[in-house]
Amino acid sequence: MIQRLIHGTRRALGLHHPGRNLEVWPDDVFILSFPKSGNTWTRFLIANLMYPDTPADFSNINRLTPDPEASSKRELARMPRPRIIKSHQYFDPRYKRVIYVVRDPRDVALSQFHFYRKRGLLEDGYPPERFVPRFVAGETTPYGSWGENVAGWLATRQNRPGFLLLRYEDMLEDAARELNKVASFLEIPPDAERIANAVRRSAADEMRKLEKSQARLWSSTKGTRQDVPFVRAAKSGGWRTGLPEAAVAQLEAAWGHLMKHLGYELLFPARTTNFDSQFVETMLNGLSR
Amino acid sequence: MIYGIKQVLNYALGRDIAGRTLAVRPDDTFIVSYPRSGNTWTRFLIANLLFAGQPVSFANIELLIPDAEAQSSRYMKRIRGPRVIKSHQYFDHRYPKVLYVTRDPRDVAVSYYNFSRKYRHIADDCPLEQYVHGFVTGTLLSSGWGTWAENVGTWMAARNGRPTFLLLRYEDLIADTQTELAKVARFFGVDATPGELSRAIENSSADHLRELEKKEGEAWVTTKNKRSDIPFIGSAAAGKWKSVLPGAAIEEIESAWGNTMAQLGYELVTRKAESVETQLAAMAVLRERGE
Repeated sequence: MIQRLIHGTRRALGLHHPGRNLEVWPDDVFILSFPKSGNTWTRFLIANLMYPDTPADFSNINRLTPDPEASSKRELARMPRPRIIKSHQYFDPRYKRVIYVVRDPRDVALSQFHFYRKRGLLEDGYPPERFVPRFVAGETTPYGSWGENVAGWLATRQNRPGFLLLRYEDMLEDAARELNKVASFLEIPPDAERIANAVRRSAADEMRKLEKSQARLWSSTKGTRQDVPFVRAAKSGGWRTGLPEAAVAQLEAAWGHLMKHLGYELLFPARTTNFDSQFVETMLNGLSR
Repeated sequence: MIYGIKQVLNYALGRDIAGRTLAVRPDDTFIVSYPRSGNTWTRFLIANLLFAGQPVSFANIELLIPDAEAQSSRYMKRIRGPRVIKSHQYFDHRYPKVLYVTRDPRDVAVSYYNFSRKYRHIADDCPLEQYVHGFVTGTLLSSGWGTWAENVGTWMAARNGRPTFLLLRYEDLIADTQTELAKVARFFGVDATPGELSRAIENSSADHLRELEKKEGEAWVTTKNKRSDIPFIGSAAAGKWKSVLPGAAIEEIESAWGNTMAQLGYELVTRKAESVETQLAAMAVLRERGE
């Protein structure tokens, strides 16, 4: 009761972090992904593209691309529009302009495993094969499971206006090419130099340097182990050596149909038990052209 | 300011509407559907099946199967578990077990139109075609639940085929209530005899619900203070759209949601749904082009 009174007062004053209850405006743009899928990199790329005069770093990124889990309702309401908002939320019909970044779930699981070591949620030596079943069950984040998050957004929005799908792996391959797509999505003139600058400023090495000096300034790294980095390998395919085969098989059994749809090659295609993949596949394609 | 203090107190006392802030328990089961898809009927069927000892009515349905969008956090907290909860929410990953009822969106549109007039959410003389346009494009109050396709699509994409998810079609419920209710009983782990199923069906019939609505309409949170000349319990039939919906409205619904409709077994009359193979081929082409 006392706790709800305090919480309620903070809510009334707009001091709470709204998270999923964010008040959405029609011109909001969302940088959306399941956690550990390259969201921070994308934020840096887009911030550096949108605001070339303010190089993005960990001290200003929450202002340039606000995070409803880290900023208060009041702060969010006062941001200049259009806001470019960072989010991990599973489907929300109110989000009308969405840049969705997807990453191979095998790499996502591995990355989250290391992130939870950094945050002290998992001890060193905790076996990944015990982590993966919890990851598959959607117990490791409040944003649904990887499959629920991705399928929910793709089934409703893929190939429709107001939705841009980016693969983290394509961004690694050619960041400028992918950022070009973002520029046209945001209706920014696709100036090659501006894009190249944004890519350079957001390179993994640059971000690692910034993390070293600013980790204590940023909501996502403050109070976490400093010996495990937030900006980690910034590579794809780490799961091949980092995850035991049984864990890979489990991930593929749960989401093989979605992975195939996204172009992620399966290690055990025969073991994939598709949960009515035809329904998902049909919806994924949305409107007929 | 006064309003703010009132809000704080309501929140502190748990008098705020639970809605999406509902504290979900691991043993909760949800009856989810888009509005106007047979949710109330399903609620009565299940209540009459699970709580067979007492006559279910609009006066006690909120105790037996409460509506998280109409009741307060405190009210929901006091319901003893395992709870069965009514909901219209689009996908919410916290719901552990979900029975989803879907209905032909062309019928949903017709029913929702009448409901919106009952609630005075639209003008009484709003043309049906104009209403359907808002319904499809998600500009009406109803879009708070997502559009029809967003609601059913997010649940199906995330959960279909899992043992904790049961999909029912309103049309199948009408055509063979006994068989469908038997599925529901199994889903709830209830061993129901054919006689028990029949009794639950009888006690939930449209005519019986209409009678109850007449008597208790003012006692139920959903129908209280609403126009009583338009009933909450509608035609309780499938296919009414065929005689009521203008052609352009049918076309608009089918062109927006045709693929999802076809997958749910709702036959399209204005276009063909693409086969999965055609779609997969089209996607492969797009991928190759790097789009």
